Amino acid sequence: MVEELTVKHFEITETARGPKQMNGAPVLSVRDLRTHFFQDEGVTKAVDGVSFDVCPGQTVGIVGESGCGKSVTSLSILRIVDPPGRIVSGKILLRREGGGGVTDIAALPANSRALRDIRGGEIGLVFQEPMSSLSPVHTIGSQLMEAIRLHTHLHESAVRERAIDMLRQVGIPQPEQRIDSYAAQLSGGLRQRAMIAIALAGQPRLLIADEPTTALDVTTQAQILELLRSIQEETGMAVALITHDIGVIAEMCDYVIIMYLGRVVEQGPVDQIFFSPKHPYTEALLRSVPNVHSEPKTRLPALAGSVPHPLHRPEGCPFHPRCARFMPGTCERSQPRLTEVGPDQRASCFLYPGADHG
Amino acid sequence: MVDTISDPSDDALLDVEGLRKYFPIHAGLSRRVVANVRAVEDVSFAIPRGKTLSLVGESGCGKSTTSRAVMRALDVTGGSIRFRRQSGEVVDIAGLSRAQMKPLRSEIQMVFQDPFSSLNPRMTVADIIGEPLLVNGIDKRQDRVDRVAELMRRVGLPAQFMQRFPHAFSGGQRQRIGIARALALNPSLMVLDEPVSALDVSVQAQVLNLLLDLQDELALTYLFVAHDLSVVKHISDQVAVMYLGSIVELADTCALFDRPLHPYTEALLSAVPIPNPRKRSTRVLLRGEVGSPIKPPPGCPFHPRCAYAQDRCRAEVPRLERTAEGRQVRCHRAHELDLSGVGSMERPV
Repeated sequence: MVEELTVKHFEITETARGPKQMNGAPVLSVRDLRTHFFQDEGVTKAVDGVSFDVCPGQTVGIVGESGCGKSVTSLSILRIVDPPGRIVSGKILLRREGGGGVTDIAALPANSRALRDIRGGEIGLVFQEPMSSLSPVHTIGSQLMEAIRLHTHLHESAVRERAIDMLRQVGIPQPEQRIDSYAAQLSGGLRQRAMIAIALAGQPRLLIADEPTTALDVTTQAQILELLRSIQEETGMAVALITHDIGVIAEMCDYVIIMYLGRVVEQGPVDQIFFSPKHPYTEALLRSVPNVHSEPKTRLPALAGSVPHPLHRPEGCPFHPRCARFMPGTCERSQPRLTEVGPDQRASCFLYPGADHG
Repeated sequence: MVDTISDPSDDALLDVEGLRKYFPIHAGLSRRVVANVRAVEDVSFAIPRGKTLSLVGESGCGKSTTSRAVMRALDVTGGSIRFRRQSGEVVDIAGLSRAQMKPLRSEIQMVFQDPFSSLNPRMTVADIIGEPLLVNGIDKRQDRVDRVAELMRRVGLPAQFMQRFPHAFSGGQRQRIGIARALALNPSLMVLDEPVSALDVSVQAQVLNLLLDLQDELALTYLFVAHDLSVVKHISDQVAVMYLGSIVELADTCALFDRPLHPYTEALLSAVPIPNPRKRSTRVLLRGEVGSPIKPPPGCPFHPRCAYAQDRCRAEVPRLERTAEGRQVRCHRAHELDLSGVGSMERPV
């Protein structure tokens, strides 16, 4: 049931391509993804029409506040959304290795062999909290070796050696001893390194890192980000980085997607997002971030209100109740479409012509 | 037996001197103490009335333990915590018993990190904010309701929501409830332990602004504990950097960020991600991990990770030195090193 799509079909879909086109065709293209949660209280549209591309060697940042759907997007890509959530429509197109065509992950049957090969194989995943995503009753080594066995054809005798090698590669000191440690015996930073080693075991072409440094100290965060950068440089893998931290986005990403209540409000190359943001939400969000260069004891230009509960998403543009540039009669009536606002930059706001078509 | 110290030259609201807090490790049948976790080792600072001092450092550096000791949520191992009461009397609260501490509790209040777990889900907002009033003898229900309404307005919450339960509020609103509860008894000192780190970016700015406004209006003194240096830069008059239980550097906010004197401060500052893609920083990456507070490294506790360490640093524990500008630093080489701070840059947007 692997859906093969021609390259041509691929091209004519609405694209959201990043700046690093020289790196070749996107590894992953998400098209109009919708993941909804069907609860007794109603339907939460956690992800509601999200499209983006990730190219080899590129780091795409997905940023937003709680409830914006950034994590559900990453879970959807690996098809690990828990019920009552499910992908209701859209395509998740993975370009297979060595001209193997394009697979729509969204269309693969759950629990299929093909899906399991992709998870941890072509797409690796790093979670926020290494303590809760690593097994407390298995050693780091046994979890890493399991991943190596699943995704490579190494002889059993070589697996342990490979595991030690990988631990060394992610900067864990004394890997020969650490391989037999349990997660609880490692510090937060070392645990996250072990987690990254497991994610890299299948030599993925795309790494999804969901808040990989949020639980860490700032000094450890710097080490982990540096590690991700150097691995990417070496292997040329694509990275989708999900974070709420604007500073991490600025440090790491080539292309940025800003989400609000399940929808993409703006996307573009990192430089344009930071120096020429077009959507009022992007602009307000960037302004409200405290900065080590700002004057102490000064008020921050804060955004009014808070993110509404995803179950009660406002009509029209979901941001309109908090928007400083709210236009009565327009913004609350219909949802703006993503429209070209600059080179490779799109925003969904009625301030820009094209947002109200279709 | 309240120990009263009168020192007219001292205008600090809180003056902590040589604070130590050890957690004993017991072992064997006799529960003998085999070692101590030296969570706080010789911490001294003072906060003038109406000012903010922030404690920063990596996890395990002792910043939260210090704040809890100041609250007397913990018994301290040594040192003094002199607190100027609203009556003008200066009390060393380090040695007070629970009963002696009780009348001071209303003057020192705390705001916690997680607004989701620090509010009782079965109590209405009116009861949560009103409870300290009830405990402190405001018995008439109407008086309490009036005061709760006033507090809610002050922190920017609509007073008509007072009969609702915490789950009906967003994270930012819950933190406002926590702040209102802390304000209920007109404290002079607020201990804020990571008050904005669980909040969304846009809400974080609102709560920081609220804290700045309240400080202005009510002349509050803040002891602020945080790991986010950008937040610390915004809220603080003074910053104390902690490493393995000691303050390694203490200075006015701008001085510390612009010209750090301790190599650890430099490393911390350079690790902060800067929200400017054109300024991807050149890092002083810290190698290794924080040492063990049970058996700290000999000499300067930071020397195994320090890029500037010399033989002397490995052998001799540096003393806290006070510079002419009123800064404090604990480093043998502070006077000769030329360390870089955050520098200046254009801000995007």
